[in-house]
Amino acid sequence: MTQLRDILYLDPGHAFGIQNRTNSFIQENFTQIDQYMFDKVDLEPFKCIFFHDFIDQEYLYIHKEKIASFLEEGKVVIFCGHLFKKWLPGCSLFTPKTINSFTDYTISKVIEHPIFEGVDTEDMTFNKGVAGFFARGTHSPVPSHAEVLLTLPGMPTTYIDRNTTKGTMLVHAGRDLFSHRMQNKSTDRISTQLLQWVHDELDSKRGEK
Amino acid sequence: MRKIAVIYSGNASHYRTFNEPKYNQYLAELIYFPNFLETPINHFDVLLVPSQMNETLLLQAKEKIHAYAEQGGIVVAFGPQPWEWLPNQKWEERETNFWWWKEKGAKSGLVLAAPENDLFNYITLSDATWHQHGVFWPIAGAKTLIATEDGGSVMYLDKVSTGGTWIITTLDPDYHFGSYFMPATERFLDGFLPWLANGEI
Repeated sequence: MTQLRDILYLDPGHAFGIQNRTNSFIQENFTQIDQYMFDKVDLEPFKCIFFHDFIDQEYLYIHKEKIASFLEEGKVVIFCGHLFKKWLPGCSLFTPKTINSFTDYTISKVIEHPIFEGVDTEDMTFNKGVAGFFARGTHSPVPSHAEVLLTLPGMPTTYIDRNTTKGTMLVHAGRDLFSHRMQNKSTDRISTQLLQWVHDELDSKRGEK
Repeated sequence: MRKIAVIYSGNASHYRTFNEPKYNQYLAELIYFPNFLETPINHFDVLLVPSQMNETLLLQAKEKIHAYAEQGGIVVAFGPQPWEWLPNQKWEERETNFWWWKEKGAKSGLVLAAPENDLFNYITLSDATWHQHGVFWPIAGAKTLIATEDGGSVMYLDKVSTGGTWIITTLDPDYHFGSYFMPATERFLDGFLPWLANGEI
């Protein structure tokens, strides 16, 4: 599993994230650095960058060329959050969903995808009986040819874009998908399946070359 | 009206909350956190430090914020505080029960500790009720405004630790409003910011 540490995890340094620093899943699979080290870090050893929902997007906007160059090398970027600055190629700014009832938070699968294989959509929609944690809006319109994985009623929340750049972007309009672990429900599968997807995606790209 | 500055983290929830016109009208300046040490702040009456700030920058800013408070400034701190930067800070992390309202005989566990305070002409206890991430145990002389039933402090005023005033709360309405979740947080900000600007503190 040591090769999996070539995923760069930019730590926003926020209070809610403090447990990630010592969590074994994160430590074993990611290289964690403070978000403000991004402009200094050499990205050559990394195959994937994970951008967290608490990330400083003003800072990423300043360094958007570094992100674009990383993608042009055929690598993988994962962003979970609400985009308000255009630092991620092809990604529309976040629009919140109008909520009239908890049913407006219902998550559906558009296709069966390995990241969400075996994950019950009820478990994504509800947490301890409360709906709304998983996603609350969209980055629409999604790029042309994007593969939409999940939706809220009437809008995509989660997509993969392999066309805007030479790399692959997974964009989820919600909280950190890697945080779905150790809750004793089917969503626990997401963190490990997402990790596996990153490596499968990189392997398939290598196969294309 | 007091001049209020907010430290702005650049994260999505803070972007939304502090750019929302009904709140932004009370804010004289959003100070981008990486620029904070170089930014003059002594001409502001209030410095609001939101929740979920970057640890490294927060600890670097501590000395400047304390110096500002020593000179009579009002400092507001939102949210859980796992790092030591508040005066006489005693923070107790607790498990967050965000589903309490689904349970039989639901009680949030919050009580008004100082109902006579002017803040409660601007907000009600229900406007401050969503969930808590922990409590503070303030020093003697500080005044708790909102407490848990076991006496932990969810919001308090500290006019004794420095020459200024600290308004410290475990509540994080800046995060929840800014991430489009928990409607009470909007009612809280609707009242809290006008109180901060014009109320009796």
